[in-house]
Amino acid sequence: MTGRLRVVPRGFAGPAVRFGVPVAALFVALTIGAVLLGVSGSDPFEAYRTMFNASLNGWASLTRTLALATPLILTGLAAAVAFQMRVYNIGAEGQLYLGAIAASWIGLFLPADIPAVLMLAAMVAFGAVAGAAWAMFAAIPKALFNADEIITTLMLNFVALSLMNYLIFGSRSFWREPQRAFPSGKRLPDSAVMPELSGRLHFGFIIAVVCAVGLWWVLRRTTWGFEIRTIGDSPTSARYAGMSVRMKTIAVLGISGALAAIAGVSEVSGVTKGLEPNALATDIGYAGIIVAVVARSNPLGVVPVATFLAAIATSGSRLQGIGIEVEVVYLLQGLIFLTVTAGEFFVTNKVELVSTDADELPNDNGTPGAEMTGAK
Amino acid sequence: MQRRLWQILAVLLAFTLVAAACGDDEDDAASGSASEAADDTTTDSASASEAADDDTAAEDAATDSGGTSAVTAGFVYLTETGDAGWTYAHDNGRQFAEEQTGATTLTVENIPEGSPEFDTAVRDFIDQGADVIFGTSFGYMDAMEALAAEFPDVAFAHATGYMSNDTNFGNYFGRIYQARYLTGLAAGEASASGNIGYVAAFPIPEVIRGINAFTLGVKEANPDATVTVNWTFTWFDPAVEGDAANALLEGGADLIAMHQDSTAAGEAAEAAGARWVSYNSDMSAYAPDAYLASAIWDWGPYYASVIEAVADGSYAGGAYWGGMDDGIVQIGSLADDVSAETTALIEERAAAMIASEFDPFTGPINDQDGNEVIAAGVVPADGDLLGMAYFVEGVIGSAEG
Repeated sequence: MTGRLRVVPRGFAGPAVRFGVPVAALFVALTIGAVLLGVSGSDPFEAYRTMFNASLNGWASLTRTLALATPLILTGLAAAVAFQMRVYNIGAEGQLYLGAIAASWIGLFLPADIPAVLMLAAMVAFGAVAGAAWAMFAAIPKALFNADEIITTLMLNFVALSLMNYLIFGSRSFWREPQRAFPSGKRLPDSAVMPELSGRLHFGFIIAVVCAVGLWWVLRRTTWGFEIRTIGDSPTSARYAGMSVRMKTIAVLGISGALAAIAGVSEVSGVTKGLEPNALATDIGYAGIIVAVVARSNPLGVVPVATFLAAIATSGSRLQGIGIEVEVVYLLQGLIFLTVTAGEFFVTNKVELVSTDADELPNDNGTPGAEMTGAK
Repeated sequence: MQRRLWQILAVLLAFTLVAAACGDDEDDAASGSASEAADDTTTDSASASEAADDDTAAEDAATDSGGTSAVTAGFVYLTETGDAGWTYAHDNGRQFAEEQTGATTLTVENIPEGSPEFDTAVRDFIDQGADVIFGTSFGYMDAMEALAAEFPDVAFAHATGYMSNDTNFGNYFGRIYQARYLTGLAAGEASASGNIGYVAAFPIPEVIRGINAFTLGVKEANPDATVTVNWTFTWFDPAVEGDAANALLEGGADLIAMHQDSTAAGEAAEAAGARWVSYNSDMSAYAPDAYLASAIWDWGPYYASVIEAVADGSYAGGAYWGGMDDGIVQIGSLADDVSAETTALIEERAAAMIASEFDPFTGPINDQDGNEVIAAGVVPADGDLLGMAYFVEGVIGSAEG
């Protein structure tokens, strides 16, 4: 080998790179996908037309995509705020369930005839508090004993799932509809249902976008946000500067849990309209981690990334409808998403071929991967 | 179907993160977290794709059509046709009906219960000219009722539900408890310890009825045997189903029965050297040593009859609950070591049920606390069976979940 690939960050990406790379990446994905579809016996042009029509073309399709993007934005924000401080909250899934449980409780508990504004505000507040409280089971051990939050938040997801299942399937709880043989949640009164914006799109989308802008403002424009990012960059220097890492760990996990829980409020109030474990447990919390990583934990980036992911996801059943096998659909969706994501990597980084004769320390294992340290 | 997409993306992302973080100490935590989060999804996707391999062949088999029906039928499935279980059985039925009637069929897989995706899928089918929609999971019921009201010219048939009207919305199901009772006769003989485990999805009448019928068969063959129930709260999740089976096996069970859609419980039994009674389809190929018997579905003739009724305009909703007499429920193959006497007894009882001369729930039957719930000589009405919420004597576990 006479040379090595090295990845270095770009100082500034010009407009040609900014817009050219994603477009090129999409084109690459569609080309590979066309081969894949051709081999599996489908017409690629029909498939792409179907995907576009199902997700973005026309108001009905667009609102459907945005409706799916709504909880994704919120769980994406939940992951993003924690990642900013290098706290890895994998627990959005469980925090989402807690938000749904708490919101449906207050929605069923309060008199059905109170104004919808009050009812919905109470549900969001209650849900957010429940999600934040649930996150404390991981946050406090992390702050006090440095317990690994990746393990605790992940494990708490299964506890939360069991709790939600117990409330509907395992007991005659307050949440469960007593009149039906199959366990299902009591239907929320109309005042506890998010107002419809258009088609399937409901008010939860507005809440999600407001949360994104609000979080961006807090992180970028306030001292508190600056401290969070400083701790994320270097906890040691932050401590020297007198910042309380413990308190901020608790606060950040609390906010993260609250945001994920609001996703649960939005789903239970705007989509399932009752505590329905099967419909709520769809891994939206885990998908939020993907969204945050791709958006590089930027709250404003979370919105388009979540929408893009939702557009890909929502076209899935339509693709099956034109006779493409479900496995091919997943492959195609994954391919497009991953290629565009990889393209983003090249917007922020450039790959250089360097000579091995350069005055650098020799690479331990000689693989190019070991050089990929510029990814940050 | 989005859930599977998230899982696949999480795994892919974990790989890219691990690759990108190589050599960067500070990023170790990040890569660790992502791969851990993805860990529990990996097994799931892997087993699903394995299972999916053999369904291509099945789909290829159904190309020629015997009939000439102009009807288009849309099938909405909860899981993938490669599950070898519930959806697989329905898809076999679809293929049979397509061949019989010549109807065009459309399918969509992995549509969760209670999700707006069901509504989307059905509207897509109707856009494509569907005349009849089959929804094959319980949780589609409310959405189907609403769609049936919105599209009076489209027929809707809902598996396992209880809602219907007398024009375009019906429900259909089968008396699988009859077949489960027969498998119980074989299981009672095959279990040496009399400790039998049952991996069960949800504590609802459909599942409880099956556990009870199975237990009645078990106790007829071995009055001292018990059936221990382990709830999974999922119809299809191979990892969870396998764990539940293993827990029962570690508790001393030497035979596993199940009300689940995958073959995971059977694979667990096979690995532990125990026996297995499968459900939905004859799954003997998945655990050849463990396999003992199976309670199976044959939806094909029913689907063909509905499509024909839609074609001639005679479909009128209503409820259908067919039994072994209609062939919609059957007992699958029996393992070679089922004794001649038991085989003869199973055949005799099957014939008696087909002739409506025998019902496994004929009293006296006690509940698990010893209280008589069905008096001697009484055959419970269908309504009692459909609402069954208690376990019979011999079942260990809570019917409340």
